[in-house]
Amino acid sequence: MTDLLTRDRPAAGKRRGRVLPRALSTQEVVLIGVLVVLWILLGVFTPNFLSAQSIQPLLASAAPIALIGVGMTAVIVTAGIDISVASMLMVCAVVMAKLMVDSSWPVPLALLAGVVVGGLCGLLNGLLITIGGVHPIIITFGTSNIFMFIGWRIFDSKVVNGIPTSVAWFGRGADGRFLGVPHSFLLVIVVAAALWWYMRYTAGGRHFYAIGNDQHAARLVGIRVQKRTIIPYVLTGLLVGVAALVATANGTQTLAQSVGQGIELQAIAAVVIGGTSIVGGRGSVLGTLLGALLVQTVESGVIQLGWAPQLAKFFVGIAIIIAVGADLLQQRLTRRAS
Amino acid sequence: MSGKHAQALAPDTTLIAQTRPDETRAAALMRTLLTRRELMLVVLLVIMLVVLFGLSGAGVTSGPYNGVTLASNLINVVPLAMLALAEMIVILTGRGAIDLSVGSIVSLVSMAFGYMYGIWGMPLWASIIGAVLVGAVLGSVNGALVAFLGFPPLIATLATYYAYWSLAIVVNDQQPISSPEIQALYDTARSLPIFGESFPRIPAGVFLFLIPTVVVVWYLVSRHPLGRRLYAVGTNDVAAKWAGIDLARTRFTAFALSGAISGLVAVVTVGQFASARPDAGNAGSGMALPAITIAVLAGVAITGGIGRVSGVVIAALLVTWLNAGILLLFPGNHGTQYQLLALGVLLVGAALLNGYTNRKYHIIN
Amino acid sequence: MIDATPRVRLTGIAKRFGAVRAIRHADLEVLPGSVHALVGENGAGKSTLIKVLAGAEVSDSGAVEIDGERRTFSSTADAIEAGIATVYQEPQLFGELTVAENIFIGRERRRRGTVDWRRQHGEVAELLELMGLPERYATVPVDDLSIATKQQVSIAKALAQDAGVLILDEPSAILTDAEIAVLFGVVRRLKERGVAIIYISHRLDELFLIADRVTVMRDGETTGTHEMADMTVRSIAEAMVGGLDVAENRRRDLSASERVLRLEGLTRGDDFHDVDLDIGEGEVVALYGLVGSGSSEISAALWGMKRATSGRILLDGEPIVPRSPRHAQKLGIGLLPADRKGQGMFGFQSIAFNVTAGRIAKFARAGLWFDGGKERSVARDMIDRLAIKTRGEKYPIASLSGGNAQKVVLARQLVIVPRVLVLEEPSQGVDIRAKEEIHTIVSELSDQGVTVLVVTSDLPEALRIADRIVVVRGGTTTTEFGPTATQVDVLAAAAGDARTEDHE
Repeated sequence: MTDLLTRDRPAAGKRRGRVLPRALSTQEVVLIGVLVVLWILLGVFTPNFLSAQSIQPLLASAAPIALIGVGMTAVIVTAGIDISVASMLMVCAVVMAKLMVDSSWPVPLALLAGVVVGGLCGLLNGLLITIGGVHPIIITFGTSNIFMFIGWRIFDSKVVNGIPTSVAWFGRGADGRFLGVPHSFLLVIVVAAALWWYMRYTAGGRHFYAIGNDQHAARLVGIRVQKRTIIPYVLTGLLVGVAALVATANGTQTLAQSVGQGIELQAIAAVVIGGTSIVGGRGSVLGTLLGALLVQTVESGVIQLGWAPQLAKFFVGIAIIIAVGADLLQQRLTRRAS
Repeated sequence: MSGKHAQALAPDTTLIAQTRPDETRAAALMRTLLTRRELMLVVLLVIMLVVLFGLSGAGVTSGPYNGVTLASNLINVVPLAMLALAEMIVILTGRGAIDLSVGSIVSLVSMAFGYMYGIWGMPLWASIIGAVLVGAVLGSVNGALVAFLGFPPLIATLATYYAYWSLAIVVNDQQPISSPEIQALYDTARSLPIFGESFPRIPAGVFLFLIPTVVVVWYLVSRHPLGRRLYAVGTNDVAAKWAGIDLARTRFTAFALSGAISGLVAVVTVGQFASARPDAGNAGSGMALPAITIAVLAGVAITGGIGRVSGVVIAALLVTWLNAGILLLFPGNHGTQYQLLALGVLLVGAALLNGYTNRKYHIIN
Repeated sequence: MIDATPRVRLTGIAKRFGAVRAIRHADLEVLPGSVHALVGENGAGKSTLIKVLAGAEVSDSGAVEIDGERRTFSSTADAIEAGIATVYQEPQLFGELTVAENIFIGRERRRRGTVDWRRQHGEVAELLELMGLPERYATVPVDDLSIATKQQVSIAKALAQDAGVLILDEPSAILTDAEIAVLFGVVRRLKERGVAIIYISHRLDELFLIADRVTVMRDGETTGTHEMADMTVRSIAEAMVGGLDVAENRRRDLSASERVLRLEGLTRGDDFHDVDLDIGEGEVVALYGLVGSGSSEISAALWGMKRATSGRILLDGEPIVPRSPRHAQKLGIGLLPADRKGQGMFGFQSIAFNVTAGRIAKFARAGLWFDGGKERSVARDMIDRLAIKTRGEKYPIASLSGGNAQKVVLARQLVIVPRVLVLEEPSQGVDIRAKEEIHTIVSELSDQGVTVLVVTSDLPEALRIADRIVVVRGGTTTTEFGPTATQVDVLAAAAGDARTEDHE
């Protein structure tokens, strides 16, 4: 019986019951390796990188990026993109801050409000993209501005003072930890695990990949493409709401307009570095998590090494090129074989 | 796969009418306005100016909005229009090509220019050429990543956006360069009574930078063979390849040009602020956003192959003068806020309109 | 046991696209548990008929009955629901998803909201076994598989839908002999299960191995259904051709003229091998090959899109290795691509733009200024010479009919007349009138001394305009036909009747 496979692929995993491809891709394995090496190097060359005082804030700072990145993974897998998350975060943050400070809402309720606001923003993005039939990058460029406008209006050129200390549960301080790990990061793990499970074990999740692979064919097999395309944007919006609270908690008792600036690119960087293809159809949440850790490690590392903080951006840029380049190379090698 | 063409296709005889005998006047007018974006923009521009002039006359605005306002605001049109043209060149090549790094190139070249002219004492003309060349090199990195290594343009320019921005900041320890020669450059931002004393003064930058750039880009896109290739690749890159056009070279050139224009914009901003600042192109949300907005507003299709210089220039005027008007209608910080809203709404609206128009009239699948 | 009710019955089907009648009148009856072949030349209407059955097209008239029940399909989903599964030549699969996921996509078996992977895996294992594929393929992403395996996955997917009717469109085109044997094994097992299989193929000799009955289509009509046992390759070919004498052919004997283009032992891996061909000055040679024969890969090699791994191409005696379309053009080759819409047309650009797109540099004065006036005059000249029906050169090419658009893309190759002009499927999807006009243009070109290679799967076309016909089959050039060739002879040779191998 002729073996019709073009490339030798060992039957990985158990024979019975394993019905999906391997859980860990090459990219992710490499990423884990890179992270380990980086942490060791930083531990050697800085006074105290590998200490709790260093790692805990790192995890806490990585949390908002990871939260948004998780949602962004689903968006990018369906061949979309969302550049408006930074402005969305600002809006959610200021709404929650005002509710807590001016209306004395308790933190959980305020969180709910923030999540709802985020979800609505995400819904707007999703609707405009699917109904308008326009490239997501243009639409989200535009909504980014609109959200920023809304956020600025609520801020009204002031800052919000007096964020209640109860938010510290989400923050980077001692109140925000469980067994030494920041709550926010634990939240990230829970959310990431949930979406990972969804995208791997449910039909709806697998349909994201189908849509990203070939939207037209997906429609032909009966997938509700419009609905499935909107969901990732809404999900991202909801997660932005949570990330907004974490970002607020990570800061001081004063919330400024600059909250979350640049996080859209950090999130996209995390997703792309994690091995998700920007053209859709491929990727996993685990990679994004590792990507977020890498981005934050670079930022924290640069500071701890005493280098100019802006160099972090440079390294992130290089990391993007290397990660995507490696992915492209791997794809090309696979295609050449078939 | 040889199977593809022999899959007997149904004979294609759909004749999309060249004449539209049963089109009403109104529908014909709508079609003209929608497909000739420049016309629609001119109409919108005129309407906007009439409204703003009217509001100014009625005293609603916090300051006069008149011919002088229009003329003096032209200084803002210069960098925006130039960058929008740069974006147009890239977006024309199709397949979602875009350049997110233009703002960072402006920042980095600003610093380079600052070094060349302000610190190393190179003559001005040499520094300007140097700036353009450095910009071209930076754009070529994007071009190489996209055209020769197959990176998606979004990712390549995202990475260089980061890399160039950080280099700009780090290269002079986050300090701007404001040597005396640089400060003297402020003269270039002066306004000149070109058309006689009774006519508002036009900023020199328009003549020194904007008009030459518009002319050169127009020439490249409409009269030089490169323009043909850009449109061909953007319309159908497979057909372009089969027709013997070098896809990689065309895409590479587009990004290199975008970088070169960004380099020239760096000179403009240094002159305008009399200082070479490391965040020249990245302040606020960056320069890429308004540039892309103007290009989309001008009807440049993100799928490629559609876009005209005239549209970009008019769109730039529209956006800049609208911004000026907004500042007068909503003084203080409110003004900046509403400018942002206007930009966002314009972008979304223009994008939706582009999509609708292209599907309906341009027979794009 | 003969089941009286046909699984599929099509009666009086007709379908036209604009001015062209793709199907004039078609009847088809397919019994369950049988393999029913559908044959016909290109343009005979087979594909359209299949599309009607598969719900991809709606017929203008006629009826579709499944198991005796009248059905109307307004979409492919309706047809799928009625138990009709279609496997096209291009596998419609999601490359990044696994075989198992592809088979069940859109119809996942669920258990309490999530996918019941265990159950799906069980069913997939069964299907894979039926197809003769190893069980571990279930978890392999489809893009890792060879094209032949992908096709088998497509078939498995069709079967998973409990199909009562399986339509296979040219399935053996991309398979090796060993793979074809596997395919036939699967088809036989399906037959035993009572599935009605409609098998479209050009390879007449294969049909004798697998089909029970054959329906012939010609010029949009089904001309008859026969038991395979009563037929031979030749008699099927005759039925396909129908005794239509292709009267006007201009086969000239130009064997004495200088050889302009020569292919010697040209090989490229699996695509083609040992291709030998020569064309004299002013000669028109048709490279006649059916789907999967390798003919289009050969022309791709001439155009620099794919490189031959061994063998030579000689142009005017000089060996050449085209590296890209640009390079091929510089060498003096011109090529009209087969896929007009995808590879030829710049849809919303003007006719003038389309005409000049292949020679942009030549229209630029001193390489710096594109001469719009020259473009206009050349375009207008082409519109005249090629009788392109349009109001002007400024109109978008997408506003033209298929035939006229084809002439524009052809005009692109004639702006500077090449030494060798390669035409891929020059009249595909083109109405009769324009087809004749294009053929006239080709004849005129050859009279002017242009050397033409027509790569086509349209046999009447090849017979009409070519001086010689070279048959491509199985990736290599086989028989060559000269002035006395008849349509039946060539068709039989291409379809694999060994008895005609020695025809001159």
